[in-house]
Amino acid sequence: MKTSIMKTLAKCVTARAARIWAFGLVAAIAATTLPAATPASAHGERSQQAFLRMRTLNWYDVKWSKTELNVNDEMELTGRVHVFSGWPQAVAKPEIAFLNVGEPGPILIRKSSWIGDVPAPRSFSLETGKDYSYKLILKARRTGRYHIHVQINVEGGGPIVGPGQWVNIKGDMATFTNPVTLLDGSTIDLETYGITWSMTYHFLWMAAAAVWILYWFMTKGIIARYWLVKIGKADKLISANERKFGAIWLAASMLAVILGYAWANSAFPRTLPMQAGLLKGIQAIDEGTPTVAIRYGGGTYKVPGRELTFKIKVHNSGTEPMRVGEFTTAGLRFLNPDVYTSKPDFPDYLLADRGLSVNDPAPIAAGESKDLVVTVQDARFDIERLSDLAYDTDSQFGGVLMFFSPTGKRQVIEVGGPLIPKFQAAL
Amino acid sequence: MSISTETGAPAGKAWKSKEEFLGCVILTDWILLVVLFAVLLGSFHIHYMLLAGDWDFWIDFKDRRMWPTVAPIVAMCFAAAAQSFLWTKLRLPIGATTVTLALLIGEWINRYDNFWGWTFFPINLVTPSALIPMGFWLDIVLLLSGSWLITALIGGLGWGLLFYPINWPWLAQFHQAAEVDGVLLTLADLIGFNSVRTGTPEYIRMIERGTLRTFGKDVVPVAAFFAGFISMLVYFLWWKIGAWFSTTRYLESDEI
Repeated sequence: MKTSIMKTLAKCVTARAARIWAFGLVAAIAATTLPAATPASAHGERSQQAFLRMRTLNWYDVKWSKTELNVNDEMELTGRVHVFSGWPQAVAKPEIAFLNVGEPGPILIRKSSWIGDVPAPRSFSLETGKDYSYKLILKARRTGRYHIHVQINVEGGGPIVGPGQWVNIKGDMATFTNPVTLLDGSTIDLETYGITWSMTYHFLWMAAAAVWILYWFMTKGIIARYWLVKIGKADKLISANERKFGAIWLAASMLAVILGYAWANSAFPRTLPMQAGLLKGIQAIDEGTPTVAIRYGGGTYKVPGRELTFKIKVHNSGTEPMRVGEFTTAGLRFLNPDVYTSKPDFPDYLLADRGLSVNDPAPIAAGESKDLVVTVQDARFDIERLSDLAYDTDSQFGGVLMFFSPTGKRQVIEVGGPLIPKFQAAL
Repeated sequence: MSISTETGAPAGKAWKSKEEFLGCVILTDWILLVVLFAVLLGSFHIHYMLLAGDWDFWIDFKDRRMWPTVAPIVAMCFAAAAQSFLWTKLRLPIGATTVTLALLIGEWINRYDNFWGWTFFPINLVTPSALIPMGFWLDIVLLLSGSWLITALIGGLGWGLLFYPINWPWLAQFHQAAEVDGVLLTLADLIGFNSVRTGTPEYIRMIERGTLRTFGKDVVPVAAFFAGFISMLVYFLWWKIGAWFSTTRYLESDEI
C-alpha cells in the first residue's frame, strides 16, 4: 500500500508533470480573472414590496440635468421627496437616513449632496409628513449607459429607490480626474491619490514575509521536519544561530515599524480623525398652509384591469379653483390629460400621461367641497409590480395628489388608506 | 544498497535512486506548501471578510476605535491555529506570518479583481489592513520562547498593540483634511462619500461612537490594549482549535 503511494509520487518528478501543473495553474488563474463581467444595469427597485415604495418616500419633481455626458462632466440630480405620514409599521422611520444614488458602483462620483440648504455628506433625520428638496452633483467617471436613480437609505428600512433615468457617458475613464483641495491649500487627484505608496508599503512587507517563510521552508522542508518531530527530535530542529537570526529579524521589523510610524507623523503632521455625526433639524419645504384638504373615503384595486379607484372628499378653502392633475406614487406619475396638455420630460417607463381620470372633471371652486372618485389606470402599475399591493400584509396604498389652479399654482397633498382588492374584472 | 540503472525500481523498492527519492520528497514538500498556503488563503480570507468585513474593505471605516479593536482580534484566530499546527507538528515558526501573507495575497487579488476590476471602486477606497509585522512578532516570540503561554501573553498583547502603528504609514495620508461645501472631511471620508455604494450608507459606519471619547483624542492606545487583551484569550482558544484540526486519528480495525 505504502509502496504504491510512493511509486505514484515518484512519477510526479517529471518535466511533463511539472508542465501539467503549470498549465493547470495558469488555466485556473485565467478562468477566474480574464472573463469580462457583465455590468449590472438595474437595482432591483421593482423587487421592493409595493407598500414599501408607496407609503415611505414619494418622489416628485425629479430632474436629471443631463442624460448625455462625457467623462469628467458634471450633472445635477434634483427633486423633492414627501415623507409619507402613514409610514408603514414594518419599516423603521427615517430618523437616520442617507441621501444616496442608485447606480452600479461609482459610475458617477458624488461630488456634493444637499437636503434642503444643508450639505449632506453625512446621515440626517427626516420627519414624517414633511417635504424636503434634495440635490446631488454627480461627475461622470465610467463610460457606458447606466440607469441612475435617486435613493435614500433608511436605517432599519433599507434603500428606498426613487425614479431612474438612463444616462450615457462617453469618453475614456482613464482621463477621469477628481481634484480636491486640502486645507493646507494643495491640490491632489483623489482618484489615484495614495495608491502607489499604499501598494508599495503592503508589497514590501509581503515580500519580507515570503522571505521569512521560504527561509524556514528551504532549511528542512516539511516531510523531513515531520519525521524528526515524530521521532522526538523536535528540539534539535532549530539551532541557536536560527534563533539569533529570528531575533535580528524581529528587531529589524520592529525598527521598520517605528521608523515608518515616525515618518508618517512627520510627513503628515496635521491629520484629523474621520468625521461623522447625525444632521438633525433640517428645514423642510415651507410653502405655507395648503388650501386644499382631502379626506379619504375608501378605495379598490382591480387586479385584472390594473385600476386603482378611490373616493375623496375635497375642500378648497383657497381663492382659486383647483383641479386634480396628477397622482404620484413609487416614482410613477399618472397624469390627468385634462390638466397636462403637453407631456412633461420624464422617463417614459414611469410616466402614464393619460393614466388619471376624475369622475367630475369640473374644477373645485374656491370655498367648495366636493366628493370625487379618482381612477388611476395603466399597465405601468403592473409592470412596476405595484399590483402586488393586493398580496401585501398591509393592504394600504399611498402617494401624493397634485392639485393645480388655472394660474399654475400647485398644491401637493398626501393621500392614502386601505384598499379592497378585486380579483375579477366584472365586479 | 545497490542503485539500479534499469528502467524500473528494484524489487521491493519505490525509487530507482537516492536522488529520485530526494527529488520526490522535495516536490512533495512544495506541493504541500502550495496546498497548505491555498487552503489557509481561502479559509482565512472568508473568515476575515465575514468578521472584519467593512472595517477591512473600506478606507472610511478605518477609524481609531472599532477598526483597531475588531481587526486584530479576528485576525488572531487563524494565526494561533496555524502556529499550533506548524509549531507542534513541524517546529516551523512561520504560522502567523504564513496566514497573514496568505490573507494579504487573497485580499489584494480580491480588491484588484473584484472591487476594481468588476465595480471600479478606486483602490485607495479598498486598501486592506497591513498585518505582516504582527505575524513576525507572533512567530518570533514563539521561536524565542518556545512557549505557548508566553506567546499568548506577550505575543497576543503585541499583536493588538502593533496593529495601528503598522497601518499608520499608509493610512496617515488619508487623514489629511479637506472642506467640501463648508463641511470638514478627511480624505478617507471624502473617498467614501465620492464613491457611491448603494448598499453601504454613511450611517453604517461606526466612527468612534461610545464612551471611549472620555479618553480625549487618545482613543487608539485604549483600543489597542483592549484588542491585545482579547487577542491573548483568542490565542489560547484558537491554538486548541488548531491542535484539534491537526490531530490525525486512525481507525482500529483488523480488516485494514
